Amino acid sequence: MSTILAPTSTAELATIVRESIAVNCALAIQGARTWPLALARASATATPLSLHMISGIVEYVPGDLTLTARAGTTLAEIEAATRANGQWCPLLPWGTDNGTLGATFATATTGPFRAALGAPRDLALGLEFVDGTGATARGGGRVVKNVAGFDLTRLMVGSWGTLGVITEVSIRLRARPAVDQTIAVQCDVDDLTVLARIDAFRRGPYVPLACECIGAAHAMTLGLGEARLLVRVGGNAAFVAESVRRLGELGAVEAHAPELWAHYREHDPYRRHFTDAYATPLAARVKRKFDPHGILNPNVLGEVAS
Amino acid sequence: METLRHIVGDRHVLTRGSELLVYENDALPGYHQRPSLVVLPGTPEEVVAVVRALYAAGRHWVARGAGTGLSGGALADGVVLLGLHRLKKIISVDPIARLAVVEPGVVNANLTKAATPFGLHYAPDPSSQTACTIGGNVAENAGGPHCLKYGVTLNHVQAATVVLPDGEIVKLAVPSDHDAALDLMGAFVGSEGCFGVALDVTVRLTPNPEGVRTMLADFSSMDDAARATSAIIAAGILPAALELMDAATIAAVEASVYAAGYPTDCAAVLLAEVDGAECGLDDDADAIAALCRECGARDVRTARDAADRARLWQGRKKAFGAMGRVASHLAVQDAVVPRTRLAPILARIAEIGTRHGVHVCNVFHAGDGNLHPNVPYNADDPDENARVHAAMKEIMELCIAEGGTISGEHGVGFDKLPYMEKLFPGDSLDAMCRLRDAFDPLRRANPGKVVPSHACREWIAAPGFNA
Repeated sequence: MSTILAPTSTAELATIVRESIAVNCALAIQGARTWPLALARASATATPLSLHMISGIVEYVPGDLTLTARAGTTLAEIEAATRANGQWCPLLPWGTDNGTLGATFATATTGPFRAALGAPRDLALGLEFVDGTGATARGGGRVVKNVAGFDLTRLMVGSWGTLGVITEVSIRLRARPAVDQTIAVQCDVDDLTVLARIDAFRRGPYVPLACECIGAAHAMTLGLGEARLLVRVGGNAAFVAESVRRLGELGAVEAHAPELWAHYREHDPYRRHFTDAYATPLAARVKRKFDPHGILNPNVLGEVAS
Repeated sequence: METLRHIVGDRHVLTRGSELLVYENDALPGYHQRPSLVVLPGTPEEVVAVVRALYAAGRHWVARGAGTGLSGGALADGVVLLGLHRLKKIISVDPIARLAVVEPGVVNANLTKAATPFGLHYAPDPSSQTACTIGGNVAENAGGPHCLKYGVTLNHVQAATVVLPDGEIVKLAVPSDHDAALDLMGAFVGSEGCFGVALDVTVRLTPNPEGVRTMLADFSSMDDAARATSAIIAAGILPAALELMDAATIAAVEASVYAAGYPTDCAAVLLAEVDGAECGLDDDADAIAALCRECGARDVRTARDAADRARLWQGRKKAFGAMGRVASHLAVQDAVVPRTRLAPILARIAEIGTRHGVHVCNVFHAGDGNLHPNVPYNADDPDENARVHAAMKEIMELCIAEGGTISGEHGVGFDKLPYMEKLFPGDSLDAMCRLRDAFDPLRRANPGKVVPSHACREWIAAPGFNA
């Protein structure tokens, strides 16, 4: 289908959803089209609905370490705005920074920094969405702690656009570490003894931002030569110095530019496993409450139990 | 009722007025509502049988942990109260995976005690942690001082077995990074007993930090202390905890058995803690001390040893209790505001208190912007009662207008219900009602809490609805 709907506001999007209900036309939700897996699963008869025009940072108060942006805002835009204040959105998910904020949260995409810095469910403070009835709702808020009302935010994060179309997300930011080093360690990442020592390092107390075992083939594409342990350590100078000293006990260390992580993230080591999320009676009831006509991303998370 | 007695035994069904008295209120002393009866199952199987019996009998019910809630969430007005404190089994502790599986009635601090031999602890630490239960923590998405660094209950719950109000048993779990799946576990945490009862909960355990530095900074003005908080957060330091107490709170604490040695001649103290790996810890502590001094701290001292540290914390954690000496009742608020707006908002709260002639005691999670402006008062004095509630309403409206929220960790329950419509538009409240309906279509669990009934359109439309 050649038509791509691209609303420029939440109100316009809500109108599209209501009109789609009226004509019984399903919608396939898209951000920057960087998720071929989801695109492939979307029904071929569904009309593509792109969020890329609902875009831009709505509010950013650096002193609060919080940011609110429209769904179509790219991760690169958020990266640029926050970098200027020594901050970052610590998700750094698999894929590229051309991906959008909305899609990252709708798909709950994590990355190599998840263990240290959190997943989308941990970083989302609140969001706005248009559900399958055409209603616009908000969950959570913009402050860093919020338990008022039932948690629509956690419901939407990771629901792959099957319950609502996320139009805006408020996120928690982090200060960039004062010292940030990327270290490749020469060690045999297939050796069980070595793996046990890597695990001991990773478990702390000098917890790294990321710690990834890179096999030989992958190391080649990253320009690392051979198999390596790739580690990013961040903190104050004393913390990082001690971390690097400890890594040195695992093998020879070499420093790399942090840009290496951008290349690494482009290669997604986790192929998503799509479950039949709506196979249980409870999940099916949730689906019917939020998308009673089944027009949002049909089939992406499987059939809805009857 | 005979069915219930048959399930749990005669001893565990309470019906006499004197027995029900204990269950009339939670830790918020302002409300008393008597349940029709109290049923206290002792095993997960009994919980399921009780829920199914109540479902079959068409009865409404309210789940309750230890009754330490601060929002009136466990009030059961003429309906059945389902007490879960007998389910206190720690089913397993896995130090390698750093996970524990517990029954809902396990006391928060007892879980940490069980994890201690492995160098682990359960991170969310509400001030009531020596009494409150994990089930209650899950229901309220409880926080605590150390949630600034470690996250709230939501961030520590991995899975749960839940009995839904219609008696169906479901397994909920946080989806793994590899799976594309719904996060109904996340939706369940903080559902305030409206979505069902957890029969067991799988929680993450956190390694004990290698080092800890606890500091006490005292200020001659609240404004300086609030500015120091904002400066520490803006500087990018992530303390384990950052707690503020004002002069009224310090006076209450120091006059009580929980006296912590806080200076009684200052306007505010800031309790700051950094923890983690030893290397670098002193640098972070020094940076915090320097920022406090730059903002006008009179003195910054570091706890000498573990005993000194425990004493500094005791004063903070028992502050609500210490206020019990001041008056018979305590109005408790739990608003969250942007952290850069702390100083002006606290000044406005002081002004509101003065204008209404009420005694506001501030003790709160400053690092998160999570305020607890509490007012000790005498609820039997109609004039004082009216002034306290007028002041509280104004404070909440101020926090909402400043872009904040009405609850950071205590939940909406019954007490904060009137503010939900000021915070959320109608469509959002309706969406929350629909989420609840998916878990509990007949609204048997904790009726009338969290979202005002009249905000739920399907319910208004249903035959026989009365608000």
